[in-house]
Amino acid sequence: MLAYILRRLWQMVPTMLGVVLLVFILFNWVGGDPAYVLAGKMANADNIANIRHQLGVDRPYYVQLWIFIQQIATFDFGQSWATGETVSHIIVTRIGPSLTVLIPLTILETCFGIALALAISFVRGSLTDRLVMIACTVGMSVSILVYIIVFQYGLAYKLGLFPVQGWGDSFGENLLRYAPLPILIGLAVSIAPTLRLFRSFVLDEASQDYVRTARAKGLSEGRIMWVHVLRNAAIPIITYVMSNLPALLIGAFLLERFFGIPGIGREVILAVERSDFPVIKAITVYVAVATMVFNLLTDLLYQAVDPRVSLK
Amino acid sequence: MMRSGRGLLWKRGAALVLACLALPVAAVPPEAPLKVLRYILPAAETSLDPATGRDLYTGHITEAIFERLYTYDYLARPVKLAPQTAAALPEVSTDGKTYLIHLAHGQYFTPDPAFKGKRRELTVADYVYSWKRLFDPKLASPNTWLLEGKVIGLDDLAKEAKRSGKFDYDKPVAGLEVLDPYTLRIHLNNPDFNLGMILAYDPLSAVAREVVEAYGDSKGEVASNPVGTGYYQLAEWVRGSRIVLDENKRHLPAVWNFQPGDDPDDQRIVRQMRGKKIPQIGRIEITVQLEDQSRWLSFTSGGADLFWLDGPLAPKALLNGKLRPELAARGIQLSRIVDPDLTYYYWNMLDPVLGGMSKEHIALRRAIAMAHNIDEEIQLVLNGEAQRLDYPIPPGVVGHDPHYRSLLKYDPLLANKLLDKFGYRKGADGWRTQPDGKPLLIHYASRNEAAGELLGEMWRKTYNSLSIRMDNQRMTFADILQAETLCKLQTRNYQWLADYPDGDNFMQLFYGPNVYQNNTACYKNAQYDRWYEASHKMPAGPERDALYHKMARQLEVNGVALMAYTRYRNMLAQPAVLGYKKHPILIEEWQYIDLDRGAAHAPVPLK
Repeated sequence: MLAYILRRLWQMVPTMLGVVLLVFILFNWVGGDPAYVLAGKMANADNIANIRHQLGVDRPYYVQLWIFIQQIATFDFGQSWATGETVSHIIVTRIGPSLTVLIPLTILETCFGIALALAISFVRGSLTDRLVMIACTVGMSVSILVYIIVFQYGLAYKLGLFPVQGWGDSFGENLLRYAPLPILIGLAVSIAPTLRLFRSFVLDEASQDYVRTARAKGLSEGRIMWVHVLRNAAIPIITYVMSNLPALLIGAFLLERFFGIPGIGREVILAVERSDFPVIKAITVYVAVATMVFNLLTDLLYQAVDPRVSLK
Repeated sequence: MMRSGRGLLWKRGAALVLACLALPVAAVPPEAPLKVLRYILPAAETSLDPATGRDLYTGHITEAIFERLYTYDYLARPVKLAPQTAAALPEVSTDGKTYLIHLAHGQYFTPDPAFKGKRRELTVADYVYSWKRLFDPKLASPNTWLLEGKVIGLDDLAKEAKRSGKFDYDKPVAGLEVLDPYTLRIHLNNPDFNLGMILAYDPLSAVAREVVEAYGDSKGEVASNPVGTGYYQLAEWVRGSRIVLDENKRHLPAVWNFQPGDDPDDQRIVRQMRGKKIPQIGRIEITVQLEDQSRWLSFTSGGADLFWLDGPLAPKALLNGKLRPELAARGIQLSRIVDPDLTYYYWNMLDPVLGGMSKEHIALRRAIAMAHNIDEEIQLVLNGEAQRLDYPIPPGVVGHDPHYRSLLKYDPLLANKLLDKFGYRKGADGWRTQPDGKPLLIHYASRNEAAGELLGEMWRKTYNSLSIRMDNQRMTFADILQAETLCKLQTRNYQWLADYPDGDNFMQLFYGPNVYQNNTACYKNAQYDRWYEASHKMPAGPERDALYHKMARQLEVNGVALMAYTRYRNMLAQPAVLGYKKHPILIEEWQYIDLDRGAAHAPVPLK
């Protein structure tokens, strides 16, 4: 196991280097020169040259690349070009609000997805099953923007069930007062594809021989589905959930933007709008690292769930 | 008895203690309830250091926390300069090269550990220090231009810092003569009658050196610890999300005593506010809401008291420039002004296809100008929220001429004839070519967002009407700025918002030495430059206006740019807001207004 983990960690190094090179090339050749934005509305060539010097973008590319690698190694990405705030402070302070929304959303989405998938599988082929699948297809076809606009207008503005937008100082207030509507919208958007996917996982298992055997032995349908089928369907479900976890770290762009949640997704959009490269670079790199780490964790979890899986 | 006596003693003792505790409470009159104004910013703030501020949204906060020597009279229109921390308006020498400034006594920075427990009085040395900061290469301030080339010796300090790598804040500057802590004499390189207005601009606010040295980041920027002398101080800041400002109770007392102007609404404002202490609002709660729908729903559900109704939202609240009846019935107030800004279309004078002063090139530019329907653009792109403008100086800015009329009228037929006459013939494919037979293709640049797409389509229609091929270059803002500054864009809609309300701020947009800065048309004309230089040395008046007329006409004759429009600014206020009137130059007016959430001003509930 340890050898496997070390080997996987070692394999991350070339992947990481690829990410670093890609990010560096994209920001240097595609991103435009931020000095012109930072210079204000009446800057001369001297001012622009001075800003480029202060930002370090006038240095040779290999020096800039080396600085970038050092930043990754030390987790010190310097300061935001737009606000002067340190990038590490941005990440640390914005991740909380994002997770306040996204962790409950992921838990609810997974639990509801599994429960509904088992229930639907139980009545597979029936009119209920077909109607639910049609509803899922319709739900998936509607843009998240529509959900946000309709829910915000209807549930918050017209019915007053939730605040229209906002974010407070305390975790409790945020979780119980401001986060429920974004979570509800996130759930409405994600439940349809999740349900379809989980249903297919469950149906794959439900048609296996061991299920027929279990029925022949007289086990109840509930026990077959909840214990035997679910356990075997858990591997693809875990893969799906774990592969989605790194996405939690970049927040929910639109939800955060519409509901004034000072999370990391909103910060990414602001950084893109402001050509704030240190912030974009840092978040890109840390999401890449998180993706690799979560992939490794997924593989390790396989073995925990299914002892037949061996890690080599 | 003993027991009861001891009990009585305890009771009496307790009563005495309670009475003592109650005494200070009873001695102080009950405080008025805190008035909290809720405001929405449509974009996130950046740095709370006025020296590095570069956007209007951040300006709301820095303008409330920091103070300039001068400000503007709240009600006077056209706008009128007024002292802020200065004791009076500056005494300007007749040659316009020397300004004598007296600071009012007894103004203090808000308390901060950087002052080590002492009260820190504002002096003119703080202004000298703050203005020097704009020139510190390390800070890379986007506001250096405000004083660049103006004050004797100030630019030399920056040059020396670039050489030595260290900015010497202690070195005296010949042009900034501190006579005593309350008196400053400024010596200018050239006459400048606008300096008073420039000194009223937010980046020239006073910051305290101790604070910068205590909290400055690696560049010396104090974005996170704004400490000023203004009516408000920072109480809470969740970056990009929520900012709370509390009243600075140590501010010099002031009484609302503005005189009403010609606007009939001024009388109501004066009735509501006269004689009140400034400020009335004890706390400002600002939230950043990036999306139109969220902002609009927040305001209409009572979640905000003042609301900046920007372009896309205008149709929700306005009908033909007036408040919709359902909003008026709820008691919502509208303050609508013409922004001191100008949108114009320029053609790059250095471009080989569009630029140059040959008759053919001038004819091409004029033809394009005559084929573009500005009114249609205002309706379709801006929802009607702009006013046509023929003159380069917008209304409300000193030097504006409401009677000036452009020679370039909308006439696509005539525009086509002009092109025919000057050799821009149509080829077999129906598209025009250049007089030498080369293909004619115009690259119109716009931002890669929805409004940019709309503008691109508007211009495509214009060029199609002239049978000229057009390509819409969709670019990021950074790319546009870079290409534009380097004179590499052919044409686009350009917008300029006044930094100070004087025509000079607009006429400099076509001044030759400003090419590769903000002369985006890259126009170099010796005659125009001579006129501009002469006007720059004159005080405002008929003589300078006459020069501005000639300059405006020359821009038309040479087909450099087509003046298009100036936008409206619409501010909505809940019924509880008293005394509100949008000022064209001040970014916020929170200290001049009041709130009454009593029954008389309660909003009519939503149906």
